[in-house]
Amino acid sequence: MGLGFVIGVFGGLILAHAAYSTIQYRGLLKIVEEEFSGPPMNVVVELLLGLVFCMWAALTVPGKFLSILPHSEENRMVSLPANLDFMIFNHRGKVFPLEMDLKLKH
Amino acid sequence: MAGHNDSSAAEKKSSELTSDIPTFNAENLQSNMKIIYYSRTFLSIIGGVIAGILGFTGWTGFIFYFLVMAITSVGLVAKAGFSIDSYFNSWNQVILDGFFSGLMSFVLFWTFAYDMVHIF
Repeated sequence: MGLGFVIGVFGGLILAHAAYSTIQYRGLLKIVEEEFSGPPMNVVVELLLGLVFCMWAALTVPGKFLSILPHSEENRMVSLPANLDFMIFNHRGKVFPLEMDLKLKH
Repeated sequence: MAGHNDSSAAEKKSSELTSDIPTFNAENLQSNMKIIYYSRTFLSIIGGVIAGILGFTGWTGFIFYFLVMAITSVGLVAKAGFSIDSYFNSWNQVILDGFFSGLMSFVLFWTFAYDMVHIF
């Protein structure tokens, strides 16, 4: 997460620098009175680098995909009930005979 | 005996029903769709800035947008580990969702960057 975000910011800075050098290149063309046919080579390389960095950031920063299958490993219920401390199994009620069964037999 | 047969038949029916209806975790599906929207929006903005700096005009820019979105789709599929079925309902959700809303922000930032670099 942190690394991807830093890479994205770096890609944005590269894009800003590429834009700035294109502006300077246009100013130079204006002085020598030539037509603009395409950006210079280093700007194209910078743009490609910026695109790759930003794509890296866009694919990693938002988070991981979560599985939607109900039986997958990630979606299994592993949490215990919250009132576990209040569950008592060793109490005096277990010495009394279970009369429910006797009634059912009749 | 008959009752037992009935119950087994009913069980069979219910199991068939559950196997017919695809069940999935809707919450996780929504979070996956959100992730896709984030990626597409961010990359269409970045693509618009790049197209503007490169000085694309007309159809070249739109073709560039299609290219960027295709690369994004490939990246998203690769992020899902090439097993789309365990993360999404269908392929359309990965490939088409957020395409036109991304186009709007692409055009906005394309014209913005073009104006900044080439006109002013």
